[in-house]
Order: sequence, then C-alpha cells, then structure tokens
Amino acid sequence: MIALNLSRSRRRVWWISLLLVGFSIAGLVLCWTNPAIKAPLRPGLDFTGGTQIQLERSCEQACSALQASVVEKALIASPLDADGETPSPNLDSARVQLLDGGKSVVLRLPTLTAGQSQAVIEAVAPVAGPFLEGGQSVDTIGPSLGSQLLISSLTSLGVAFAGIALYISFRYDGRYAVLALLALAHDVVIVSGVFAWLGLAIGLEVNSLFAVALLTIAGYSVNDTVVVFDRIREKQRENADLPITDQVDRAVSATLTRTLYTSGTTLLPLVALILFGGSTLYWFAIALALGVIVGSWSSIALAPSLLTIWSRRSPSTASA
Amino acid sequence: MARQQGWFALILALAIAAGSVLLSFPMELGLDLRGGSQLLLEVQPAGEITKITPKELELVKAVLDLRVNGLGVAESTLQTVGDDQLVLQLPGETDPSRAAKTLGETALLEFRAQTPDSQEEMQGLLRLRAQVRSILELKQQREETDPESALNAEELAKAQKALGLDASAGNEQEQLEQLLNKVNGQIAARFEPAAFNGKLLERAGRRLNDQTSNWAVTLTFDAEGSQAFADLTQSIAGTGRLLGIFLDGRPISEASVGPKYEVAGITGGNAEITGNFTAEEARDLEVKLNGGALPLPVKILQVRTIGPSLGAENVQRSLLAALSGLALVAVFMLLIYRLAGLVAVVALSLYALFNLAVYALIPVTLTLPGIAGFILSIGMAVDANVLIFERIKDELRRGNTLIRSIETGFSQAFSSIIDGHLTTLISCVALFTLGTGLVKGFAATLGIGVVLSLFTALTCTRTLLRFLMSYQGLRRPTNFLPQRQLPTQSV
Repeated sequence: MIALNLSRSRRRVWWISLLLVGFSIAGLVLCWTNPAIKAPLRPGLDFTGGTQIQLERSCEQACSALQASVVEKALIASPLDADGETPSPNLDSARVQLLDGGKSVVLRLPTLTAGQSQAVIEAVAPVAGPFLEGGQSVDTIGPSLGSQLLISSLTSLGVAFAGIALYISFRYDGRYAVLALLALAHDVVIVSGVFAWLGLAIGLEVNSLFAVALLTIAGYSVNDTVVVFDRIREKQRENADLPITDQVDRAVSATLTRTLYTSGTTLLPLVALILFGGSTLYWFAIALALGVIVGSWSSIALAPSLLTIWSRRSPSTASA
Repeated sequence: MARQQGWFALILALAIAAGSVLLSFPMELGLDLRGGSQLLLEVQPAGEITKITPKELELVKAVLDLRVNGLGVAESTLQTVGDDQLVLQLPGETDPSRAAKTLGETALLEFRAQTPDSQEEMQGLLRLRAQVRSILELKQQREETDPESALNAEELAKAQKALGLDASAGNEQEQLEQLLNKVNGQIAARFEPAAFNGKLLERAGRRLNDQTSNWAVTLTFDAEGSQAFADLTQSIAGTGRLLGIFLDGRPISEASVGPKYEVAGITGGNAEITGNFTAEEARDLEVKLNGGALPLPVKILQVRTIGPSLGAENVQRSLLAALSGLALVAVFMLLIYRLAGLVAVVALSLYALFNLAVYALIPVTLTLPGIAGFILSIGMAVDANVLIFERIKDELRRGNTLIRSIETGFSQAFSSIIDGHLTTLISCVALFTLGTGLVKGFAATLGIGVVLSLFTALTCTRTLLRFLMSYQGLRRPTNFLPQRQLPTQSV
C-alpha cells in the first residue's frame, strides 16, 4: 500500500488548487467583461434563444471547397417573408459554420418559425446543396425558454446542494458538509473556468448539456469525497490517540487506490464517448472527464488537507 | 447456505424476467435517436384569465388533441408539461411547419356584417386585394417573369401611399404581403363586431367545387347558430352590405346576400366558405373548425427537428461508445481483481440488463442525455465493486482468511457505498423534480442506475462470490491478488 504524506505537502496542494481556481475565475471574469459575450460563459442557443439548422451535405470529394462566407452571402441575399404574426427576421446576425471538413453546415439564426426555417434551407441549397435526405436538424428555441432552463437548472442545483449538505451533516457533521461543498464548488468552478477560456479562445458555446454535465460533476464530486471522509471517520475511531494529520494521511492512503481505480473506470466510458460518441456529446464528455479528474484531486488532496486545519482548532471533535 | 441459494434463485429469476421484458416491450427511443419533430407550446393568459391552471391547460389540450389527430402523423403524442406547457412529438416528421401552423392558430371563427354606407370603399378594397393576390400568385408561379404587368408600378405606389406604407422597405414580395395585410385590415375595419362565432357550429366539412376545382369548407350550425345566421343574413339582405367570415380576426370570405332573403334570412343552418382553398388548406381548416377554437392562445416556444439518418447515426455512435466503454471496464476489472473481477463483470452485465428492463417497463424514453446518464451510472456501479474488492484485498494483506476477508470487505465497504449512492440519489431527485427536458431524462436514468447499482453490488456480487467460494478449488487468495502481496503466514 502506498503511504501518502499529504499533511507535509498540504501547502503545495492549496497553492495548486488556488492557482487553478484563480485561473478559472480569471477566465469567467474575462468572459463577463468581454463585450461580445457579457456572461461568465459564452451562452449557446439553448440560453439565448434562436434557430439552429444543421444540414448534412452529399458532396463526397468536393466538400472542402465550400466556404462559410459564400453560404452567408446566399443567406443574406434571400430575405425571409413574414410568417403569420412573426415579422420578417433580420438575417444580418446569422452565422455559418462548417463541420467535418465541409460535410455538414451549421446555421445560427435569430428565432424563426418552422416555415421560415424551411425557406432558409431552400435559400442555401443552391450554394451548399444537395443535402442528404433525412440528414437535417432544426432547433428553434424561444428566448423565454432559455431563462426558464437557467432558472430551473439553478434551483435544482441549489436544492441538490442543500439536500447533500443536510445528509452529510446528519451522517457525519457540519464541517464535513462544508468541506464537501467546498470541494464541489472547486470542481464546478474549475470546469466552468476551462469552458470560459475555451469560449474566449475558440468561441465554444455552452448548451443545456453543459448544465447537465456540471450537475453530474457535482454529484460525482460529492460521492468521491464522501468515501474518503467515511474512511477518515473510521481511522479516527481506530486511532483516536493519533494526531488528526496522521489519521487523515492513513485514510487517504487507504482510499487512494480505490479513488484512482474508480476515476479510471469512470473515465474509460467517457473517453469512449469522446472518441466515438459523435458531435452532440463530444464537449459534454470532455466536461465530464475534466470534472472526474478535478474531482479526484479535490477528494484525494484538497478536502482531506483542509480537514486537518479545521480539526486542529477543535481537537475535542477528533473522537466523534 | 439455504439463504444464499435463495438469493441465487432470486437473481436468476430477475435476470430471466428482465430478459423477457426486453424481448416483449420495445425500448422507447427519443426523437433525437430516431428522428422527428418536437414542438413545445406555451398557453398564454388572455382576457380575464391571468394565470393558467391545470384546468385551462386540459381544455387547450383537448382542442389540440383533435387537431393533432387531424394531422395524420403516426404515433404523435401531445403531453402537458408543468403548469402551462404542452409538448407535441411527431416521430418521423421532418417538416413541422404545417403542424406549427395548425396548432398555433386560435381558430376563432366569427360572422360579421358590413358596416352601413361603406359599400363603395369596400368594392375598391376588394378589387385591390384581388389584384395584389393575383400578382403574388403569378410571382409564385413564374418567379422569372415580370409580375408588374398585372398591376403597374405607378398603381402599386399609389396604393401603398394611400395605405401609409413605406415603399422603400423590404423587397417586392414583402411589400406585396404587407400591402395584402394592410388591405385585409382595412376590410376588417369596415365590418361590425362579431354577431356570433364558431361556438354555434355543429360541424364543418369540405367539398370540391366542380366548376372551379377549388375546395370549399362547409359549415353546419346548431339550432341557435341557425337562428343567428338567419338573423344576420336577414339584416343585410338586399342592402349590398356583405357578410364577412373571419378566422382569428382575418377575413377569409366575404359574401353578398341577395334581396330574396329579406324576409327570413338564410335559413336551414348551412353555409359554405368558398375561399379558393387547396385540398390541404380545406382539410386543415375543417380540422381546426371541428376541433373548436382554442380557449386561450398558444405560443410556440421551441421547435426541434432531427432527420432520421442523424438519429440513426446518434444511436450507433452512442451504442458503440457504451459498449466499448463497458468492454474496457471489464478488461480492467479482470486484470486488477482476477476472480473477483470476473464476478464483477457478471454482476455488471446483470446490472446493465436490469437497467434496460426497467427503462422498457416504466417506460423511460431513451434520449442522448439519458444514454449519457446510463454510461455514468455504470461508472458508479463499478465504484461500488472497487470499494468492496479493495477492502477484501486489505483484509487479505493483513493475513485474514479468504472467507473472513470477503465478509469483512462487504460489511466495511457498506457504509461508504450507501453514503456515495444516497448523495447521488439526492441530486437525482432534485434534478428530476425541478429540472426540465434534457436534465430530467438524464436524472431519470442516473437515478434508476444508482438504485440498481446498490442492489447489484450488495446482492449480486456478494451472492456470486459466495457461490464461487463454495467450491474448494477456487478458494485461494491468489485468485484475488498476487502472491507477493500476501503475508507469508497466510492460509
């Protein structure tokens, strides 16, 4: 068994976590102050509302010849009619993206009605077509839905946190709950920060799947940390006379193999998803994989090392 | 020993049951996996109703149900979501524009009389509208030819100026449509408020006009409606004032009533809307009128369409990812835990089987985030096994006997497994009850996964391990960890 001396290098652990969190917060703040984004993360269609059309082209060799600007021109050159009460939309803000070496086209447009979306597909067909039969997807999300999604995600997250904190306080004590939530916040902030930087660097947008990923990371992080805490409590019972630093060191060493194996086995399907899962789940899987790695760090190193300072101030609880 | 055999029989029975469930119940695939359209509608408060209650939502749903059936898309479903939303799923339908149009309209049919002394203006407006319509039609038929021939530019400019339209805005098509809307508005302004509305309709039908080969929509009124229609037509008969039929405030038909109806009006309770409909338009209007007007307006919040081949690709890719992920985990477990790893692989296969059976039974509609939740829950199920086996190894390294190590391993790992699973379950419950759409699907599969993982780790793994340990030949610590890690005084 590997004997880890966490207590001796705990300052280093705190510095690493502090740097990572600082780097992430810098990314979030930069994103927020960026006039083009004005939010901690670059919001995608799910949050801003609008229409996204993805078309698979049947073009074989000639795929890469298409340029986004040509599609954009075709789009702007063919204004849309008003549909019922929806006025004719302004397509100047439309953006065109080519994926897979031009094999598929993604159009990001203001909110369109179903009829207008069909008109858009017909408008770009002369330059970007022909399209594969059945290979198209159209997403239209009203602006009010985005805020609904954000609010419901945040409330469910808040309730989940409160529930977890309550459970840990009941099974362990308040300090463990605070530390578990701290480790969780650490993981969520770092993953968000990386995506904020990605938003700045390559224009990556976060969608509702990213919200799902953050919620999962939160759940995983707590699960991971709780197992280490469970072992610390056990070591405290077994070796009540040892200083808290030794108890924590022993507990972390005892669970190290398990934490690494579990993270490894959780990463395996995620790596499979990244490699084979297709474009829909690509960034989702990356966010989760990142969360698993950061989550292991926080449950092996950060949360237990923080427990050592907190317990020293109240030695009477060591026998709890 | 008898108790253990009981567990073994139970697991076997469950596995067989799960297998037969999977064979007899088809898995429900979400639209993102099989292609189709999904529309999210929100009921809007209007008039005296400021907040939508479940009762109003049901009323709206009842009307929309009739219209959805009229669309003729197989397996279409309409469900209520939350307090004021409805979600319509149209599997296989890749052009939702017709559905959006049919569902989004209130379909309030109104019968109005023309205001007195507006006959001359009305004639001008109707002529203008006919001209604009014919240009638009010509434009649609022959995009390349010059449609100006029917209405010259000067006349168009004059009409636009008279109606206060900006001639420079938008392209020709837009200008014409604006003009048409404006003219329709002007026509509507020359009608009195509704004498009665579509509530007095008994049913609607449609009929092909042999002479014009256009479709007409036929109306049959109930007793009260017949009387109201007779009264209305009687009041305008012979005066040259027109009878206007309006749908959602737009005039769809104007008809003159001859002097012969001056005495009693048009009786018999039948009328016909001859609005130059195509077969499809007539059918849609018939469906809407028979379904009745929506008690409250609805707004389309979201339209998602995914082509069937994209859906199939998603299924294949996700399945491949899930299977290769599982295969890698199996290899890992066998390498690290040897015989126990084999037990874990069997237990995890049972776990996957139980999961899929539960999805088919409830049923859980499988979507992409749902599959992601499933893959992640496999990770948690593995964690439970890893926790148990690490404890067993610890006990073996301390020099305990194999059987005792296994028992202690299970009992010691128990509390952390429970804590880990319960905390995840708490977040799943929160996400499922408060989250929407994607989040809900994800929470459902992860939650089911967590509960089943508790069951398989604590019963299947344990029972299988004990079962194997009843064979003397397998009862060797080296089946669990390498010789060099064992203390020398070991059994």
